[in-house]
Amino acid sequence: MMNEPVEKRYMPEVSRKEIDELKTTMKAASQKVMAENIERMKKADPKRPEAMKYFDEISNLFGKRQEEIAAEKAKGKKVIGYMCLFAPTELILAADAIPVRVNSGWYDTSKLGDRVVPVEVCPVIRSTIGAKMIELSPFMEQSDALISVLTCDGMTKLGEILSDYKTIWGMNVPRIKDSTQSLRFWNDEIKQMKNQIETFTGNKITRNKLKEAIELSHRATKAFRRLQELRKGSPVIMGRDAMLVNQTFLWDDKLRWTQKTEALCDELEKRAQRKDWVCSPDTPRVMITGTPMFWPDNWKLPTLVEESNPQGIIVADEQCSGERILNDPVGVDEWSMDDMLNAIGERYLMASTCPCFTSKDGNEDRINWLLNKVKDWKVQGVVYYVVRGCMLYAMEYTRVKKALDKINVPVYYLDTEYTREDVGQMKTRVEAFLEMLTARVDM
Amino acid sequence: MTEAGTVKGQEFWRWQEYHRIMPKKWTNKDLITAGVDVGSVGSKAAIMVNGEAYSWGITRTGSNSPESATKALSYALEGTGLKASDIKYIVGTGYGRVNVPMANKAITEIACHAKGANYIWGPTVRTVLDVGGQDIKAIRIDETGRVTSFLMNDKCAAGTGRGMEVFADLLQIPIEDIGGISLKVEKEPEPVSCTCVAFAKTEAMGLLRKGWTKEKVLAAYTRAMAVRMANLINRVGLEKELVVTGGQSKNIGIVSRIEVILGVKCLPMPNWRDEGSLDPMVAGALGAALFAKALYEKAQKA
Repeated sequence: MMNEPVEKRYMPEVSRKEIDELKTTMKAASQKVMAENIERMKKADPKRPEAMKYFDEISNLFGKRQEEIAAEKAKGKKVIGYMCLFAPTELILAADAIPVRVNSGWYDTSKLGDRVVPVEVCPVIRSTIGAKMIELSPFMEQSDALISVLTCDGMTKLGEILSDYKTIWGMNVPRIKDSTQSLRFWNDEIKQMKNQIETFTGNKITRNKLKEAIELSHRATKAFRRLQELRKGSPVIMGRDAMLVNQTFLWDDKLRWTQKTEALCDELEKRAQRKDWVCSPDTPRVMITGTPMFWPDNWKLPTLVEESNPQGIIVADEQCSGERILNDPVGVDEWSMDDMLNAIGERYLMASTCPCFTSKDGNEDRINWLLNKVKDWKVQGVVYYVVRGCMLYAMEYTRVKKALDKINVPVYYLDTEYTREDVGQMKTRVEAFLEMLTARVDM
Repeated sequence: MTEAGTVKGQEFWRWQEYHRIMPKKWTNKDLITAGVDVGSVGSKAAIMVNGEAYSWGITRTGSNSPESATKALSYALEGTGLKASDIKYIVGTGYGRVNVPMANKAITEIACHAKGANYIWGPTVRTVLDVGGQDIKAIRIDETGRVTSFLMNDKCAAGTGRGMEVFADLLQIPIEDIGGISLKVEKEPEPVSCTCVAFAKTEAMGLLRKGWTKEKVLAAYTRAMAVRMANLINRVGLEKELVVTGGQSKNIGIVSRIEVILGVKCLPMPNWRDEGSLDPMVAGALGAALFAKALYEKAQKA
């Protein structure tokens, strides 16, 4: 189980010189992209909330948060990375370790991943492999171990490939979630993970520690839900801003993130009282669903939607890089160790709308999530976002479309890649979709 | 129209640039609007008088979109007596829509082709296939020409006008004869397996070496393109009446094969060569000019 295997099973040998050179260029390019994204977000809302400054800063993948984690590590803290939302972060926190999600949102590194896996493989996977190859991701590099959850095919093999570098803890997720044996199996995985984390960190996960961690995540969920609540009415925050807030939770300090989000909500509530909207209240309201969209390069679609002519506003999403991160609290009845562990198991399995699940109803939970969002957030159009190679999301589209057709909400299937080359064509698609939504109102 | 392969150094891919003025008059009281559709291959500009097609010009898009837009609009104005300043409102559309310098507003070619198809063929049109130079769009519309859903092919020129140009050059057949020639086969051959423009060339060369006639090669390639387009139409959901717009609407080889594959007849194509007849290649520009009229009137009311 100990790390550093002698022989690499997947990864090619890359010279130190090449690693350093590529890392320098790609890091510089990425810093430019992040700065540009934020500039555009600022421009989109001239009266952007003060509190967004914090999230702009923390969104810098090579900035303050990386330094903080390095300092914690120097004091002996462990960092546990993960690639899927199923990783039970409360357990990591309860063991005084730092959870960080390490999926790559860099387009450039997906081309490096091509050296290991074919181009048909989902670019999120290829890009994460590429990022590891040149040590681009600070959070990945800082991780002492990685939790690899076997959800889609790409994720299943990603952990195996990354085991050339890192200690990997696999978690086996049952594909049929609504059965007692599935839950029992998954709860065992959770207990096993608890033991693993305790042994690895040398910190015992006590009842009190776990309760504190769960309470912290309750508070975060509450702050998150308050923010989402504010997106139900006339727009007081650009979708991109809210999406950035949600995503930074994946690497930020959980308590501080919660406080900053609460501060943001305070500001936004005042703004709502003043009826000071970020854009006209009749701007078409868009929801995004599909493949996760990792910062920074994957801001392509949200930027197109909100800078399109006619403009759209993103009011909701159903993505594991977005609202799914914090939507569901761990539901504890009694605060016994057993009850807490079972509650964690249930929250990560049952609440998930990941397309890796099926059952006799199919992934009914996802359909319900989408229909509820459409209703409560008054969504006028859905963009179904899929990167090529993301098989499960691509396959579930037909079903989602049928469900949305029934309630007369247009959905547009937007397939793309980890590339900037298709921005022009995507713009035409997005604009035509928004024209269509606008035309439902006038013209 | 020239005979295939008769002129040395002939550019077989080059299609006819032309302009047309419809037999009607305008006065200073009329509302003049224009649509400029800068596509990846062709630039089209249409002038409307009170929402009726009056004149248009079709030119090849150069490397510079604003220049192409200007050129197309001047071409549409040629011989009409109208000046650019007579135009009250201009809508830009097409791939280069944001680079139409004189446009008051940009609208996507998807909305414009929908509107234009409704104008050309009337309110019974429900499905529009727009085959442009670099992409294919299948568009569902309502009786007013409003888009209800659409699909677009990915970033690849397969089965598009640009792909046909490559073939015209390869087989040395003038582009405008390609459709007809592709139909001169006794039995329809299997479609080529790969429609990729880059690879299709290699595959076609292989077939020619194997002794296939030009007609047969063209039939196999055109068939493959038509299959791709029919798939797109099926995915968006075919509802009658069906029409084809864009440059490839003039390719009888494509249109007739789509009809066979889908088992429906398209609404009759106006014969664009006749004076006084509309041209589905300018559907986007016509739609844009109609939007221009609506937007101008809306602005006047406000």
